[in-house]
Amino acid sequence: MRIDPLQLLPVTGRLSPQSSLPASESDKSFGHFLSEALGEVNKLQSDAANAGVRLAAGKIEDISEVVIASEKATIALQLTMQVRNKVVEAYQEVMRMQV
Amino acid sequence: MGMFGAIDAAASGLTAERLRMDVISNNIANANTTRTAEGGPYRRQMVMFQPRNGSQSTFSQIFSQQMEAGSGVRVVGIVKDESPTKKMYDPNHPDADKQGYIEMPNINIVAEMVDMITATRAYEANVTAVNAAKSMALKALEIGK
Repeated sequence: MRIDPLQLLPVTGRLSPQSSLPASESDKSFGHFLSEALGEVNKLQSDAANAGVRLAAGKIEDISEVVIASEKATIALQLTMQVRNKVVEAYQEVMRMQV
Repeated sequence: MGMFGAIDAAASGLTAERLRMDVISNNIANANTTRTAEGGPYRRQMVMFQPRNGSQSTFSQIFSQQMEAGSGVRVVGIVKDESPTKKMYDPNHPDADKQGYIEMPNINIVAEMVDMITATRAYEANVTAVNAAKSMALKALEIGK
């Protein structure tokens, strides 16, 4: 009986990455998404600061508007911090790798 | 409905209830007002609320509207209560007619107080919704800690 020697199989089409995203989305890099998200957080922060200034100047009628703006900014910043913590954690995990 | 959908909806409720409070306060303040710019006594004002999701017309817009939660409340307008005014006998009043009667606003102070309690409680409910949405978001950030 003849036994075939073990050999590497070529990776076939089934394992190729499936491009389900539309072309415009997949073209964007991770950095692009990150800077977009950071811009959004920054906008919320400046909205909150702006609302505070207008409240101090007496130009705002609705106090809840100011509080809601600052709450949104807080939540967005906390989400940013969590993402940043995860990234730093991953970096440190890689740096701890034995070579 | 983005990340802050629940907070935005509750915030619109806060704004609407605050306006209702303004209108009720104005009604109470004018409970004895006998002359206005249009003539006649002051008439009670009421606010009208409407769900805020825009006016959809095409099939796909209506369909997508059915598939997602709305985005809060919006004030359509402030309308006058056209119920009859009260007559009071006071011949010495400058606005009294020949028989000595004056027309008083159609405001019932007790009803206004009840409306005020409703507005206050509804405001509180919206604040509770904001806080619940916020604590849900912050709980989600604790996943994996």
